[in-house]
Amino acid sequence: MLNQLSRHFKLTALLALILLPYSQLHAHAVVTDTSLNVEKIAPNKATKVRLTFNSQVELGLSQIFLVSAGDKMQLLNAEPGGHQGNVIIDIPPLTPGEYALKLSIFAADGHLSEDIVRFFVAEGK
Amino acid sequence: MEGIADFLDSLIGGVDLTFYSLAVGGLIWGIFVLRPWDPMAHYTNKFLSKSVHLTYVGAYTLVITQLAKIVLKIWLMTATLERWPFPAFANTVQFQAGLIRAFFALILALYIRNVLKHNFRITKYWLIGIVLALPMVISGAWLVHGASRLEDRELLMLFTVIHQVSAAVWVGSVFQLLSVWRMKSKGQINEQLWPALLWRFSPIGIVAVISIVASGLPIALHYFDSLNSLIGTGYGNLLLVKILMLGIALFFAGMNRRAVHDYFLSANNHDVNYRVPYYIEAEAFVLVTLLFTAASLASQPPAIDIPHLTASWQEVLNTFAPRIPRIESPSHEALLAGEEGRVAIVGQVPSEAATAWSDYNHNVSGIFLTIMSIFAMLSYYKKLTWAKYWPIGFVLLGIFLFFRSDAETWPLGPIGFWESTFNNGEVLQHRIATLLVFMLGLLEMKARLTQDPDSKLPYLFPILAAFGGLMLLAHSHVGFEPKTAFLIQVGHTLMGLFALILACGRWLELKLDSPGKEIAGFISVFALFQIGIILLFYREPLY
Repeated sequence: MLNQLSRHFKLTALLALILLPYSQLHAHAVVTDTSLNVEKIAPNKATKVRLTFNSQVELGLSQIFLVSAGDKMQLLNAEPGGHQGNVIIDIPPLTPGEYALKLSIFAADGHLSEDIVRFFVAEGK
Repeated sequence: MEGIADFLDSLIGGVDLTFYSLAVGGLIWGIFVLRPWDPMAHYTNKFLSKSVHLTYVGAYTLVITQLAKIVLKIWLMTATLERWPFPAFANTVQFQAGLIRAFFALILALYIRNVLKHNFRITKYWLIGIVLALPMVISGAWLVHGASRLEDRELLMLFTVIHQVSAAVWVGSVFQLLSVWRMKSKGQINEQLWPALLWRFSPIGIVAVISIVASGLPIALHYFDSLNSLIGTGYGNLLLVKILMLGIALFFAGMNRRAVHDYFLSANNHDVNYRVPYYIEAEAFVLVTLLFTAASLASQPPAIDIPHLTASWQEVLNTFAPRIPRIESPSHEALLAGEEGRVAIVGQVPSEAATAWSDYNHNVSGIFLTIMSIFAMLSYYKKLTWAKYWPIGFVLLGIFLFFRSDAETWPLGPIGFWESTFNNGEVLQHRIATLLVFMLGLLEMKARLTQDPDSKLPYLFPILAAFGGLMLLAHSHVGFEPKTAFLIQVGHTLMGLFALILACGRWLELKLDSPGKEIAGFISVFALFQIGIILLFYREPLY
């Protein structure tokens, strides 16, 4: 009986290893504010955008992409802002249209997070 | 391979907390419950050696899991960044604190193996063990959620560490109690030791629970700004489930305490020997799931940070509202036609076909489970012998899910089986869930048909159900669209909780005598029915 129990235990342990939880890359470091909320991007002009995160981020292990129509990705330069949790990114000149920032952020607590910030570039009035 | 790295990365947090509990809880157990230096306790060397060994296993495996966490993180970052993450990773708090913690855990493990194991009757050596555990416990503060916060960082780190240590005392002691029971049932220890240790653990357990609540409350108050954020975010949802699980674990703990109290008052040892051990086993199920949920909670954005993405309580209630189940599926072609727009980042177009496809999958699964649970209820009437074949429903459900879970992959879609399984974490999870459901059906059917009264096969069903619940509780959809993802997650989380109740109920049905057996069995089947009902009315938000 012990052998039988041992066999079952091994099978269970094997299944446990396979079946334990998976969760997607979560959003722990999330954007709580951005300069895009108050300053719209003017067309055809390079600009800087500030992103404020809810936690400290490891910028050397993070990536921020500009996504344009057709989901074309372009890696952007990012630097620490003046305050903790602030990141300044360089946006190249953009033509009017819909865009997004796709973020892969490594938070200081070790969580790799993904987030998307959508925005529009429109001709000024 | 990124999918496997994701999977293991999310798994390792719960494993880490479990082994941490074995190590830290084992030392507290030794000092405050065992008190091996007491000459009146009449412990055998074999008994004490076993207890110390369990603590050693906790410390040693903690070293392995801590190092594995670092390796997995490197793997995951290499896959995500598509480059080697060093030297940047070497400068992170995660890397440095992780290595330091592994080092201190190794020191503790070596001390337990080489010193404490040979001197377990001397107080001084236990106290040195505690002193050696302290740096390991303290270094863990830099690895918790609060370490990355911008405000009240130190306080959050401190409260989280106290929270972890308190939980470790409870969980570690429960594992020690299970070990004591195992030795008692084999006749390896004095009969009186079992109730005596249960009695001694009781006040320690109460202090641990008070400490868990007292340290958890300020953390919760920091991360929530309203009652609605407790109901309308993934973070709040998981916290509520944690509180419910704490309630279930306390229910078992309360039953144990009453049984031990009765034993010392009336010398009636029936409950202490024929109920308490199994309540503790069920309590262990709940507590381990609680640890994995806690690890999952740490990867959610705190509710206070996402007020603009918080669902209202009306929206949450609406996800459970009864409606006519969808029993017609959109065509595979219609589904694939909408996929490009649905997953687009710029110019995203929600796909009605994708939502309908998902609703159909969930609703039909609900029909399977509801019918199965009704058959399971009928199977308690001995005359209805055909009803005992209800687990076959799991096999059929597994086949259904294999074809329907991921429409873009083999056998219906263009992406190959292996390619989709190992490169997409979500597909991997669905494949595992499908295998789990299929195995559940086969094993439970075999268990119910076996003629061997000593067969251990029936126990696999509650164990696998508990793992299924565990998986659901970590099945977070929070990603790019937190509010929509949360509305999907909330149903899954509740099903995870019911799966845990299903597991505990079935386990106790197999172990207890009457009338507890029948009550536990009914609760178990009712939990299955509830899962069926949630799936039956499931409706995915359009996104």
